[in-house]
Amino acid sequence: MIKAENLSFSYSGSSPFILNGLELEIKDGEYVSIVGDNGCGKSTLLKLILKFIRPTRGSIVSDAKKIGYVPQKSDGANSGFPITVWEMLNSYSKLLKIKDKSVVSESLRQVGLSEHSRSLMGNLSGGQAQKALIARALMGSPDLLILDEPSAGVDIDSQREIYAFLKKLNQECGMTIVSVEHNLDAAISNSTAIFHLHGGHGHFCTPEKYSAEYLGKDDRHA
Amino acid sequence: MLSYGFMQNAFFVSLFISILCPCIGVFLVLRRYSMIGDTLAHSSLAGITIGLLFNQSPVLGAFIFTSICGALIEFLRKYFKKYTDLILTIVLALSVGTAITIISSGKLHTSADSFMFGSILTVTKTDMIMVAVLSVISVLTLVFLYHQMVYIAYDEEAARVAGVKAGLINYVFFVLVASAISVSIRIVGVLVLSSMIALPVATALQLEKGFKTTLLFSIVFSMIDIMTGLVISYYLNVAPGGFTALVSVFVLIVVMAGKKIYYSTKATSKA
Repeated sequence: MIKAENLSFSYSGSSPFILNGLELEIKDGEYVSIVGDNGCGKSTLLKLILKFIRPTRGSIVSDAKKIGYVPQKSDGANSGFPITVWEMLNSYSKLLKIKDKSVVSESLRQVGLSEHSRSLMGNLSGGQAQKALIARALMGSPDLLILDEPSAGVDIDSQREIYAFLKKLNQECGMTIVSVEHNLDAAISNSTAIFHLHGGHGHFCTPEKYSAEYLGKDDRHA
Repeated sequence: MLSYGFMQNAFFVSLFISILCPCIGVFLVLRRYSMIGDTLAHSSLAGITIGLLFNQSPVLGAFIFTSICGALIEFLRKYFKKYTDLILTIVLALSVGTAITIISSGKLHTSADSFMFGSILTVTKTDMIMVAVLSVISVLTLVFLYHQMVYIAYDEEAARVAGVKAGLINYVFFVLVASAISVSIRIVGVLVLSSMIALPVATALQLEKGFKTTLLFSIVFSMIDIMTGLVISYYLNVAPGGFTALVSVFVLIVVMAGKKIYYSTKATSKA
């Protein structure tokens, strides 16, 4: 479970706050998509859950024992780094102190990347790179999977495969998934709940209700 | 040539340099920290002068002062997040300021010139012991922290999620950089030291292979550069540091040209 109470955050430590008195509760086994306009604090909220940054006020806690994290493709990772898919996963398995030597090949098989194990990460397509990062996040069997825009820079076919895989993880394995989404169709079709961030606050709604609100806005613009 | 004791010493030290420098250099280059190598090379000059001032081993002086400057760079990164290049200017000012003040004071009993350009003749037995000890400890630390260091260089956020203490390992990394620099200054010299750290890696990167292969080829190119530089500089009677830097640029150009020819031949045969 993830619980945030009166959560506020500002990069400068003072006003204006990106998140301002936010309340949030995500139960185990949920698939929550966090949506909202650019700059509303979606990725900041993920960083707070991951403890990369600390709240300015309030609190956020998670009782997940193991967390898997899939960053935005353009974030964090050094794109010019000469590392093969196999090396990337193998080193990560060593960081997690996984002794099972088959874990790398099993992770690659899970996401359908076995034949690309010797390819350089920088030479993969957007979809393949995202699948490799998901394979990495799933190592060590996490109970919470956090994704930051999993469909960014990914072609339509790969998007379909990735979301079907995430849905399967949530429904069949009971994995809790929290994903920042710009892809509203994917958020509506796959999530069990949607958390809409706006003006530093957020509210939960069902995918059906969000779909109606979202489509309603589309109608008004039409 | 090898019948001379000073050449045997020079080859002994060069062997350690050619292994240690690319091992550290590969992480510096891939983290876009090549200029930190240059800054810390200047810090080593200050360390040498401090060592000479107190009649201690200049290599030890260089190692301690360069380690302190490396830690200072990591510490200042938190304060100058948006102006990281300023950190290097600050550390450079501290280092060069210290070195010039001590050299110009006239209190040194030995000249620090040989450390600027590198010299085969000045390698002492004490230096050799220091070089061997620092190199072995550094390589063993690198082997022990290999996966953590790879991940911090490749994706620091993912490393932190996996529980890696990135801050602590960054400090250890700068001690390793200090060690590689201290080991190399006798032969290579302060002025071209950063090129010995970066150029073999730049050459290996042309091969477009995975990390382990890039690291191994960096060591191979480093050995070619340093050993060839040492032998030719002996016959030409010039400073080994400068000539080794020239050899490393030449090897890089040869590999780049070879790569271009390989790809054009491949494209022609396909057509």
